Amino acid sequence: MLEKITDKITEDEAALYDRQIRLWGLDAQRRLRAARVLLIGVGGLGAEVAKNIVLSGIKSLTLLDHQVVTKEAFTSQFLIPRSELGKNRAESSLGRVQLLNPMVEISADPTDVADKEDAFFTDFDVVCATCCEKQQLQRLNEICHKSDILFFAGDVFGFYGAMFSDLNTHEYAVEVKQNSAEKAIDATSAASTAPPAAKKQKTEPAEMKTVKKTTKFTRFSSALNINWREEAYVKRLKRMPKTFFIYRVLLEFRSVHRRDPSVEHVQTDKEELKQISSRLLPQIGVEPTIIQEDFYDYCFAELCCVCAVVGGVLAQEIIKAVSQKDAPHRNFFFYDGVSGDGMVDCLA
Amino acid sequence: MAINPIMMTNTDLVNSKIDLDTIDVSNLNRQFLFRKEHVGKSKALVAKESAQAFNPDANIIAHHGNIMVPEYGVDFFKKFNVVMNALDNRAARNHVNRMCLAADVPLIESGTAGYLGQVDVIKKGKTECYECQPKAAQKTFPGCTIRNTPSEPIHCIVWAKHLFNQLFGEDDPDQEVSPDTEDPEAAGDAGQSALSAEAEKDVAGGIKRKSTRVWSQEIGYDPAKLFNKFFRDDVKYLLSMENLWKKRRPPVAQDWNEVCQHSTETSLESESGLQDQRIWSMSECALMFGKSISQLKADLAARGDGGMLVWDKDDEAAMNFVTATANIRAHIYGIVTKSRFEIKSMAGNIIPAIATTNAIIAALIVMEGLKILSGNFEKCRNVFLTRQPNFRKRLLVPCTLNPPNPKCYVCCEKPEVVVKLNPKHVTVKILEDKILKGGLNMVAPDVEVDDGKGTILISSEEGETDDNHDKPLATFNIGDGTRLKCDDFLQAYEVVITIKEVEKLENEAEFEIVGDLESLLDQVAEKTDEQKKAESKNGVVAMEDEDVVMETTPTAGTKRKASQEIVSTPKKPRHDDDVIVL
Repeated sequence: MLEKITDKITEDEAALYDRQIRLWGLDAQRRLRAARVLLIGVGGLGAEVAKNIVLSGIKSLTLLDHQVVTKEAFTSQFLIPRSELGKNRAESSLGRVQLLNPMVEISADPTDVADKEDAFFTDFDVVCATCCEKQQLQRLNEICHKSDILFFAGDVFGFYGAMFSDLNTHEYAVEVKQNSAEKAIDATSAASTAPPAAKKQKTEPAEMKTVKKTTKFTRFSSALNINWREEAYVKRLKRMPKTFFIYRVLLEFRSVHRRDPSVEHVQTDKEELKQISSRLLPQIGVEPTIIQEDFYDYCFAELCCVCAVVGGVLAQEIIKAVSQKDAPHRNFFFYDGVSGDGMVDCLA
Repeated sequence: MAINPIMMTNTDLVNSKIDLDTIDVSNLNRQFLFRKEHVGKSKALVAKESAQAFNPDANIIAHHGNIMVPEYGVDFFKKFNVVMNALDNRAARNHVNRMCLAADVPLIESGTAGYLGQVDVIKKGKTECYECQPKAAQKTFPGCTIRNTPSEPIHCIVWAKHLFNQLFGEDDPDQEVSPDTEDPEAAGDAGQSALSAEAEKDVAGGIKRKSTRVWSQEIGYDPAKLFNKFFRDDVKYLLSMENLWKKRRPPVAQDWNEVCQHSTETSLESESGLQDQRIWSMSECALMFGKSISQLKADLAARGDGGMLVWDKDDEAAMNFVTATANIRAHIYGIVTKSRFEIKSMAGNIIPAIATTNAIIAALIVMEGLKILSGNFEKCRNVFLTRQPNFRKRLLVPCTLNPPNPKCYVCCEKPEVVVKLNPKHVTVKILEDKILKGGLNMVAPDVEVDDGKGTILISSEEGETDDNHDKPLATFNIGDGTRLKCDDFLQAYEVVITIKEVEKLENEAEFEIVGDLESLLDQVAEKTDEQKKAESKNGVVAMEDEDVVMETTPTAGTKRKASQEIVSTPKKPRHDDDVIVL
């Protein structure tokens, strides 16, 4: 609901957030400062998302991650000091996240998301899941969808990145150019009280007007369950982001191996990725040739630039959803760092 | 280990204004290398320190200074494999563009505005340079609109900034604030009262340029006297130019004493809510007009004899002065008044900046940089970040690089432009400051008349050609068809100007740089569909601003490690430093 938020922005906040308030307005900033966000997975992508949303001025951020810091983290996870090798990822990131913005409450939780009860998630307004297995994503999505919590998921594999959102039924405000008929009405009503500003109407720039809109989202599983042989989907194949299928293969790898492709086993992992793509893709109704033949050469480690691109888009979507300002991207964004394409598509 | 030297030029770090070299609280919402305790410190040094913490192995050299000085000449630029720009103003962008062309080093140019951003790859002889396509000129308003007949808030704000400069800043004849008696619309009646009696007094339009400042000092910047001159007497004078008000709502003169009668002591502090967002009443404006003037007067006095103030949106008194002045003038003309927050955006030309857009564009800069450093230049793309996906579902739109514009007055073999002007009116000083530096973005030009005698018109050596300054070009037999050889040694840039003599130009312009219009238009038509789509979607990001548009330096440090892994062997390792931050 677009109900009125009455909390007042302080002078300090107005000074700190000045440049973004000029972009999204005070009302959006007020909604941001009320948002409690859970971030699952504090890898390279998680670090980018955490940085962006903490800088934007949310109320609180909880970092949930049971994994330990490995050397690989130092190439993309800039929130972890080098001295933290072998320690918990969430706890190691806490200090630097807090330094980014002392006005946001930050906490770290080293529990495995799989061990969290469903009730745990309902304390948040936003859940953003990274580094999670497919089954876990579906579980989290289900919990959030039922409790009307804004749900986001994202991952980066080498040059490829993906994000998903389920905002359920989402109401938002958007500024549109006022059409001339409406403007004329406004002008006549104004004319009775205002002094004759003869030349004014003509020279005034196009007036903007805020309108409310609503959009509906579907669950993550409906994208996973698409049968791409069905006629309606076959037609869409040509213009859709093929990175979706690379993402499917990598999620499958993660489910099977309980880890991501690793530079430590480059050869065997590449072989396995080929196997998975030739098995999984026909299962969901597409030829393995739909994805770039050598995709497995480009999907190792979280590449920091790709984290920044996907983390930037993902964080902006969180900001949009929380502030209920502007049309959200529905419901996937894919970035392919090899071609440079960043695409939005609705897969359901 | 020899690592690729990369140079990053950061907006604030290269700005010559000292006050912009330091960290402001409004930077902290996106420049994550800076924290509250760093406010007021040097950006270059803090950025280096913070980035170093992210990657202790990185070798970062921070240069704190202006990029547009001889210290950073062509040889300096030649040390790098690639230059990445994250600048906030066109002058510095033009300059770095020329330096990279001269040094033949690939340049990655970038900019953001709110949710939008773009990255462009520039390489001499292969792609368009930053100056191949004409850029939209900054919006200007006719002098008579500003001085006589404002109709929008921005007109009042421009006038208020001009008044600031007239009172406290650098004297600029183009920033006159008194009524303009040469307004073509007023023709016929302006004369009567205007030119005769009142013009002699110091109350109205007849007042000579320099005397505004002198007169203000003589009256000790008395707010009441200043108020009554600018908001009462000058307005009364304008009312005497009756033709102006036949189809307009005439302005209403304001008197200091009457306005102040309504004021209450607490009015500026009592309101709850954010001070910046509130619209001041007339009496509050008058109160603030007085308060800010006494502060600015003190600031000016502190600069000593001959000192002057430079208007800065982040200076409280300067901002309050413009808010109060613009709103009083708006009130006089029946124009809607604005909050200080809104006026700051317009007066400071603030382009909103957010962490997410900056992170995305910084990453895209590095992605293109990686392609260059790994020898895959042909894979480079210009990339646009749009607000909503285009018809091909793209939010990030990569576009193939356009070839150079053969008629570009910067990157083509023998650059030439045509300049329309009246040689009897245009002085050597105007040629140097407004045409060569302002229009053609040269930094320290030398100019020789191509008259067979090699007459030196302008020398970059200090003092050598000072005697020429105030002489009109006609003095040097410069007329229709005369060719001027202009050379900027620092930029290693030469251009030949051909004079096209005209009597008068539209809007009383002093000159017009024509270039080769025909070929420029052809070039635009040749743009790929992709790019046009992206550009129309974006409305092409205008990255012109006094404020920081973006800063990639913060991410540079963290990006480096991964870069090293992908980048095979640097093509030409000539330097052992990693990232050089200017």
